[in-house]
Amino acid sequence: MRDAFDKFAEHEIGLYAISYDDQETLAEFRDKQSIPYPLLSDIDSAVIQKFGIVNNQVTKNDAILYGIPYPGVYVTDENGVVVTKFFHDSYKKRDSAELYIDAALGRLVLDNNAPQATGGDQGIKLTVAIHGGKGTIRQGVIRHLVVRFELPEGLHIYGPPVPEGMITTEVQIDGPEGFRLMPPEFPATEKLTLPDIAELNVWHGTVDLIYPFYATGELASECRPLDTPSVDINVLVRYQACTDSECLLPRTETFSLPLDLDVIDIPDIEIHRGHGQRPGNYDGTPALKRLLARKIKQNPQGVPLFIGKNLWMQLKALGRKLFGRD
Amino acid sequence: MVVERDHHGFDAPAPLGHPARASLPDGHPTGPEIGERLPDFTLPDACGTQIDYHADRANRKSVVVFYRSAVW
Repeated sequence: MRDAFDKFAEHEIGLYAISYDDQETLAEFRDKQSIPYPLLSDIDSAVIQKFGIVNNQVTKNDAILYGIPYPGVYVTDENGVVVTKFFHDSYKKRDSAELYIDAALGRLVLDNNAPQATGGDQGIKLTVAIHGGKGTIRQGVIRHLVVRFELPEGLHIYGPPVPEGMITTEVQIDGPEGFRLMPPEFPATEKLTLPDIAELNVWHGTVDLIYPFYATGELASECRPLDTPSVDINVLVRYQACTDSECLLPRTETFSLPLDLDVIDIPDIEIHRGHGQRPGNYDGTPALKRLLARKIKQNPQGVPLFIGKNLWMQLKALGRKLFGRD
Repeated sequence: MVVERDHHGFDAPAPLGHPARASLPDGHPTGPEIGERLPDFTLPDACGTQIDYHADRANRKSVVVFYRSAVW
């Protein structure tokens, strides 16, 4: 998000980040991480409540966690009206900042910071690009693999379904274990009716086929050193371009994109030490102590209850690890 | 801390079922819907300056991020 801030400024998009942290914590965090956008302090979670996104599985007796939101993002137009929102079924899934910019602008702006490869023939330009950040892989962070066709005037390609004997545009993506694809996003097709022959679904002009993906722990755990600095993602694209009266030969093109794995800075606090790939430059202990003090004040019995619950859960986890069951 | 992998395949330094790992349940509301104006709110930034969100936006498009914590 920090690295993408220039893009928010360039497109005149206001960026606001809200958490239940105190101002002092946010000031330290902003300074250490050089964060240029407002970090807002919703210390009693009033705004989180107002939006109706407080994590209601966290109870008052879960001490320091009480008041956190289900993490999510709203993208608005100039009137502050929501145009898109991003919420996921796991708090670990996070979208790349570029996807928020796309949502705000209503178009996909590819930049060449991230790996891409080009192909195509017969006047057709084909680009396979990673979109989001620098295209690096990181547990839970969602990037887009974009297959972009730029078709000259008069040519179209086919979206599914097509009649037998015709070739629909097909993309196969293969990555290592822990590389997970999400459902793809395609632009709407147009109907092309060939009288007495068929009704076809076509794309023309610039066509972006979007394949969101992320990595799980098998590939990019944030709790142990990385197994490899980079991986190859292999992409096969098969298509046939036609005019309204004739078709070019079908084509199959293959691409290989090398994607680097991110080395993650872990917060320098006790619960994270010994995990991750590199300790962060931000000592979170004073902030954690302040958070603890604040939560003790709000609910004195919550902290010992939370510590007890935490210990019990740790023991059960250890049991699962040692004996393979609860 | 014991590291456990959840059903999504994600690793975290907290046991499965720990409230720190509680994610959005299926079908749970996610606040203002598409087409609705975000509610008015004013919050202090890291310097203590009160930021009135809609006024500060000043007719710009905006992205509002709710995250869990900068501490842990």
